[in-house]
Amino acid sequence: MSVLPLPDADTIAAEAAPTEPVPPAQRRRGVPGFLRRPGGALGAAWLVVVVVASFTAPLWRPYAVDEQDLDHRLALPSGAHLLGTDPTGRDVLSRIATAGAEPLLSAALTVLVAFAIGLPLALIAAERGKRVEQVISRVTEVFLALPSTIILLALIGVIGSRMYIVMAALGVLISAAVYRVMLGVAQSVRQRLYVDAARVNGLGSLRVNVVHVLPSMATVIAVQAAQLFGIGLLINAGLAFLGFGPSEPQPSWGFMIQDASKHIYDDPWLLVPTGLVLALTVVAANELADALAGKAAGRDERPRARRRAPLRTAAAAAAPADPANVLEVRDLSVSVDGGPQLVSGVSFALRPGRVLGLVGESGCGKTMTARSLLGLLPDGVSVSGGVILWQGRDLADLPEKELNAVRGREIAMISQEPMVALDPMFSVEYQLVQPIRRFRGAGRGEARRIAAELLRNVGIVDAERVLASHPHQLSGGMAQRVAIALALTGEPKLLVADEPTTALDVTVQAEILSLLRALVRDTGLSVVVVSHDLGVVADICDDVAVMYAGAVVESGTAAGVLDEPAHPYAMALLAANPHVPAGEPVPVRLASIAGTVPPPGSWPTGCRFAGRCQFAQQQCTTPFPALPAHGDGTVLCIRAAELSGARWGAVAVGAETVPAPAASTLTPPTPPLPTAGASR
Amino acid sequence: MPAYIARRLAMAVGTVLAAVVISFLLVHSADGSPGAVALGPSGTPEAIAAKNHELGWDRPLVTQFVDYLGHLVRGDLGTSLIDNRSIATDLATRLPVTGFIALFATLLSGVVGVVVGVTAAVRGGRFGKAITSSSGVALSLPAFWVGILLVYVISLQLGWLPATGYVNFTDDPVGWFQSLVLPVLTLAVGGAAIVARTANAGMRDALGQEHIRTLRALGTPPWRIRYVHALRYASVPVVSVLGIQFIALFGGSVIIENLFALPGLGQASQAAVSAHDFPALIGVVVVATVVVVVTNLLLDLLVAALDPKVRAA
Repeated sequence: MSVLPLPDADTIAAEAAPTEPVPPAQRRRGVPGFLRRPGGALGAAWLVVVVVASFTAPLWRPYAVDEQDLDHRLALPSGAHLLGTDPTGRDVLSRIATAGAEPLLSAALTVLVAFAIGLPLALIAAERGKRVEQVISRVTEVFLALPSTIILLALIGVIGSRMYIVMAALGVLISAAVYRVMLGVAQSVRQRLYVDAARVNGLGSLRVNVVHVLPSMATVIAVQAAQLFGIGLLINAGLAFLGFGPSEPQPSWGFMIQDASKHIYDDPWLLVPTGLVLALTVVAANELADALAGKAAGRDERPRARRRAPLRTAAAAAAPADPANVLEVRDLSVSVDGGPQLVSGVSFALRPGRVLGLVGESGCGKTMTARSLLGLLPDGVSVSGGVILWQGRDLADLPEKELNAVRGREIAMISQEPMVALDPMFSVEYQLVQPIRRFRGAGRGEARRIAAELLRNVGIVDAERVLASHPHQLSGGMAQRVAIALALTGEPKLLVADEPTTALDVTVQAEILSLLRALVRDTGLSVVVVSHDLGVVADICDDVAVMYAGAVVESGTAAGVLDEPAHPYAMALLAANPHVPAGEPVPVRLASIAGTVPPPGSWPTGCRFAGRCQFAQQQCTTPFPALPAHGDGTVLCIRAAELSGARWGAVAVGAETVPAPAASTLTPPTPPLPTAGASR
Repeated sequence: MPAYIARRLAMAVGTVLAAVVISFLLVHSADGSPGAVALGPSGTPEAIAAKNHELGWDRPLVTQFVDYLGHLVRGDLGTSLIDNRSIATDLATRLPVTGFIALFATLLSGVVGVVVGVTAAVRGGRFGKAITSSSGVALSLPAFWVGILLVYVISLQLGWLPATGYVNFTDDPVGWFQSLVLPVLTLAVGGAAIVARTANAGMRDALGQEHIRTLRALGTPPWRIRYVHALRYASVPVVSVLGIQFIALFGGSVIIENLFALPGLGQASQAAVSAHDFPALIGVVVVATVVVVVTNLLLDLLVAALDPKVRAA
C-alpha cells in the first residue's frame, strides 16, 4: 500500500543495538536521550499534539464534521475556516482533527498485534534452539514474501470495510518482520553470560525472559514499534484513499485526500492540510524511531581525509638521517584530533634486513605507532609531532597521494586477523593479480604466474587450488600466508606486521614465524613486528622497543633486552612470560603486574609505569630523559643504574614499594607437594 | 549452489501455496456466498442455493481446494461471478501494466538510491547529513499524496506529461512510456529513499571493514577501493532490500493505479473487492504472489552471483 517495505530486520537490529555509549555530557537527569536529539524531540512533540488534538476534537472543533457552509465551498484559509473548506463547504480543520482518532488507533492496533505475535515467537525460537527456530523462521519468511497489500484488499472484499479487523490482520502479516528483528536481538541477549547464570540459578524460562531478556530488548522494541506505527498509518490512509475506510459523513485522512485530488484543477490548496498532517505524522514516527535508535541524521561525521594536526612539531626533523638506517622514527607523537596523545615522543631506528619488535601490553600505542608508518591511522587520529624518515622523505609530512605510492610498493602491512584481512567477495586470484599488475606492470597471464609463484614462496603447496578459492574457504594459517603473499606483491623493502600470529593456533604461529624469518633471510626485507608476546620477539626479532603508555621505555638488541632488561616494565614482562628458557625449572608462580596501563590523557608526569612498579620511589614522579643502554639502545628509568641485575618478584605489589634485594626474589617459594592421602 | 537454489525454489512454491490457502480460507469464511453475489439482491434463497451448487461451493472445502489447485497449474483461475469472463485472461492483460510500473519503479529506486546513498557515504560531511535526513522524510511520505502533487506540478503547472490515463504499448510506444512516467516517479520517491539508506549504511559498513584497510595498505587507488571492493560488499544488502521493495512497490501500485486511472491489477482488485467477486479476489492474490515470488527468485540468483559465501552454502 505504501512504498515502505516491511523494515529490513538486520538493518534495524544493527541500527538499534545500543553500541554507542552516551557521553556523560548528554545524560541529563529526567530527559531521555532520544528526546535530546532534535528529530526525537520534534517527532515526539508532533505525535503528542496530533494524538491530543484528535482525541479531544469533539470538545474543541469549530464546526461539526458535516456542517456545510454552502456559501463558502472550496474556500481558502480564513478567520472563519482556519484551513479552508471542502467541496461541500465543510470545515477542513474540524474534519482533519475528527478523522485522526481512527488511523492513530488502527496503527497502534497493528503494532500491538504484530508484537503480540512476533515477540513471543522470537523469545520461544531463541530459547528452544535451532530446530524450533528454523521452523518458525521458514514460516515467517513465507509471510514476508506475501504481497500484504493485496491480501488486505482481499480481506476487505470478504468482510467489508471493518478497518480495525483489517488493521489487526496487517499486524498478523507484519509480525513476521517483528519476529525477524526480535529473534536477532533475543539471540544475542541470550548469549550474554548473566542470562545463563540466571538460568543456572533456577529461574523459570518465563522469568528469565521477563526479568533479563525483555528489558535488554526495550530499545529495539521501541524503535520498531515507532517504525511500524508509521507504516500502519500509511497503509490505513492508503486503504481509505481507495474508499475502503470509514464511510461518509465520517471523515478519514485518506479519503479527504482522494476528494482533494478531484479538485486539483480548481482548488489545489485542499491537498495541502490533510496531506501535510498525514505526512508529518508518519515523518514524526520515523524521526522518533531514528532518535530512539540513537541515530541522529548523519551521525558519526568524522573527517575522512587523513588530516595532520596543524601544530605538528618538527624540531626533530632538523638532524639528517643516519644513512645506515632504512627507517628512522624520531620523537613521534600520535594524537586524537583535539584530544589526548596516544603515542608520545617515540623514537627508534631500523637497519636493512633486520627485524624490530614493538612490544608491550594492549593500549600502549604499539599498533598506532605501526600504522602511522603507512599513514593508516584511524579516522580522527593523526600524527601530531616528530618525523618518520624513510628513503630521504618524512612520511609523516607526505601528501596523501605520494604516501599512497609508498604503500605496498615500499612499505607493506600484514594485520592481526587474517580471516577478515582478505576481501570475502573476491577470489584469491583476483586479489593477488590486481596489485601485481599495478605494481609490476605485468599482463594478466604473467600476473597470474607471479601470483602462483608468490603463493609457493610463502609455503603454499597447492597454489592453483588456493588461487581459485575465496577467503571463506581458507584456514586461518592459510589466509595469513595469502595475506603475506599479498603484502609481497609490490616487492616492499619494509614489512609492518601487526600481531601477525596472535589470532592463529600455536602450531600455525610457529610456521608463520619461520616463514617471516625465511623471507627476511632470503629477500633482505626489513620488518617491524608488533606483538605482546615475548616469545615472538625472542623468536624472530633482532631489535626490540618496549612500549608502555605511549612511550618507548627500553630499546636495544633483542638479546640485550631479553637477557638483561634494564627497565622494570621489561623485567616485569619477562617475569610474567610463561615461556621458560631451556634448562631452568618451571616456576610454580608466575609474576604478575598489578593494575592496568593508564589510558591516554591520564598519564602521570615522570615515569608512567611508576604506579605499578615494584621499585618505584619518590624520585620517579619527576620527568627525566632517556639514558643509553644496550649499545645503541635506551632506557627510560631514573633508577636504571641502581636496578641493574634486579628481578621482578612474583609477589603482589603492596602499598609499600621498598625495593626487594635482587637475590631475595630470585627463587620462587616452594609450595608443599600434595600427598596422595591429603585430599581424602 | 544447487542446494541454495533448491531451498529458494521450495520457499517460492511454499509462498504461493500459502497465498492460495490464505485467500481460499478467507473467501470461504465470508458471510456471503458466490451465488448471492452472482444473483444480486434479487436472488431467492432457493436460486442462490442452486447457483452455489452449480459452482460447487457446497462441496467439502478440501475437494474444492484440490480442484482449484488442479485448475491453477493449468493456468485456469476460474470465471468472474460478475461478468462470467475468464479471470486468467482478464488479469493477463492487466499484469503488464502493474508489472512494468513496479519493475521500472524498482529499477529507478535502485539506481537513484545507490548513487545517492553511496555518494553520501563516500563524501560524508554536510552532504551525507542532508541525504540521510531528506531520505528519512521521503520514505515517510504517502505515495498517493506525492502522486497528486507530481500531477499538479508536472502535468498542470508545467504541462510536460498527461495527468492520467493509459496508452497501450502496441498503439503508441512513446505514449505508453509517457503514461508510466508519473506513476513510476511517484512510487520511486519512497523506494529510492529506502534504497539510499540501505546503500549508505552498507557502504559505511563496507568502508570500515578490515579488508578495506588491507587494500589501502597496498596503495590501491581510492576509486577502486570504493567502487569495486566496498560497493560489491555493500551490494548484497541493497539487493535484498530491492526484493522487499518490489513486493512493496507492487502493492503500492494498486493505489497509484486508482490515482492515475491505469487498467492494472490494482483496478481489478479494487473492482473485485467492491463487488465481492470471490474467484477474482483469489485470482488477484495468486497472480500477485507468483510475480513477487518469481522476482525474488531472480534476485536470489543475483545475490548468489555477488556473494561467494552464498554460492557455497
